[in-house]
Amino acid sequence: MSILNVKVADVEQVTDVVKHFTLVQENGEPLPHFSGGSHVVVSMNINGRIHRNPYSLMGSTANTDSYHISVRKQENSRGGSVFMHEQVKPGSRLQITYPVNLFAISKMGRRHILIAGGIGITPFMSQIADLNRLGYDYELHYAYRSPENAAFREQLEAMCGNRVHFYVESEGGRLDIPDLLSHQPLGTHVYICGPDPMVKALHINARELGWPENHVHSEEFTAPPIGDEFKVQLKQSGVELVVPGDMSMLEAMEEAGIDAPFLCRGGACGRCEQQVLECDGVIMHNDHYLSDAEKASGNSIMPCVSRAKCSRLVLDF
Amino acid sequence: MERGYWIRSKPLYDSLVWRQFATGHVVVAQGDGGLAVLKLFQQMCPREPIKLLFADDKSASKKYADIIQTLVPEGLQICESEQAALAALKEQLPDCLMGTQFYVAGSEEFIWAVLEVLKEYGVQDNNVAKELCGTLARSVYCVHCKTISKDVHFSIHECDGCRRHLFVRDHFSRRLGAYMGVMVDAEEPGNIPAKEEIYP
Repeated sequence: MSILNVKVADVEQVTDVVKHFTLVQENGEPLPHFSGGSHVVVSMNINGRIHRNPYSLMGSTANTDSYHISVRKQENSRGGSVFMHEQVKPGSRLQITYPVNLFAISKMGRRHILIAGGIGITPFMSQIADLNRLGYDYELHYAYRSPENAAFREQLEAMCGNRVHFYVESEGGRLDIPDLLSHQPLGTHVYICGPDPMVKALHINARELGWPENHVHSEEFTAPPIGDEFKVQLKQSGVELVVPGDMSMLEAMEEAGIDAPFLCRGGACGRCEQQVLECDGVIMHNDHYLSDAEKASGNSIMPCVSRAKCSRLVLDF
Repeated sequence: MERGYWIRSKPLYDSLVWRQFATGHVVVAQGDGGLAVLKLFQQMCPREPIKLLFADDKSASKKYADIIQTLVPEGLQICESEQAALAALKEQLPDCLMGTQFYVAGSEEFIWAVLEVLKEYGVQDNNVAKELCGTLARSVYCVHCKTISKDVHFSIHECDGCRRHLFVRDHFSRRLGAYMGVMVDAEEPGNIPAKEEIYP
């Protein structure tokens, strides 16, 4: 996977828990172009262990002098977000992947409803730049906990004018998703980025209202779920490794020096799919990529988020 | 027919079945699509409002409008022609909301004419239920002169535009609603296989 070496040009404390990082290329050259909704994966060396976290690019797509990411300090951080908050300062050097977009605006759509929960606002910041440039019909609905958590509110008001709606939970503001979805004209697409229950609720509401699946777009960057330790045997590589409870299978493979494929690290893109040859227990599928039937068949696993409850798992890799 | 070989652009058609989750239903049918409509109305009728636009094929021996009229209690609009049905659909669409389910039945040419109208409103063809009825006749797009010949029953087909002898392929253009036709004797002029009726 191609890597960009970047330097932190600026760090801004946006709210108590959100920091905004400005990244420039170390060699001073412009960064690659990207489309709205793209993300990069940031590699962090934390006490000898490599952590890789995906973050949405939130700057304007017209600007390639610098990339902008925002990081929320997670309460149950596995280390990545705390590292970004406490160790990364202006001048720090980081490695990032080229931008990848798994959350693009559908050009077939006639109207676009964007729904953000908390830090889930970040991919929309670059999408709005695209939507404004293309002159598309859109609305942004942004829900957050309290006025102190109103990251980028002023910037959004300036970018979106009366297209943006805010819902502040502590002030009793509530976004009624079924109501919002129930009066949209044909050709509307909905996009959501936010906490897992909010994303799941939207998918259920949309389905029950008869929205086609391909009009509903979501992105979640959650830490890979933790679980029990299990053993993995990589048949072609002739490697056997142990996946600790607090590490994903993909991370354990990388730790063992295996060059395993990956893209989103969030169970969405399918790039890291591995064929399962044997499993003496059950696979805990946590991805959004495999169909229910594929999950039940147990022939495939997404090692970025899924794990197994077993003593031995054999992959064809 | 080669086993296990499939042109991915070739559309698949199904039988119409009411969709469980919906805010409304719009059914558009033409000619022999009337039979698909009758089969649809033999199923348990959904609670949501239904709009049915139907046009008989004037030249066909079998007409369905009268039977449909006795079966469909409300929301039925009998149209004079295919074109009238498409125009009636266009009038409906600005008021339709997301969650409206679309069903189309009739000849392949009609199905894709309806899908073209729906596309303008952001409705994607893979989200529309489609039943092919009556005929397998194809619209064939000549890759040489760009003419689309309609109602093609034979491969080899003599192009309506340039009179070249076209071999009809399974490659299908969703934008044009037509199959690709390529000159069959381009390499050996005059070597034209006998035409066969394979799209009755």
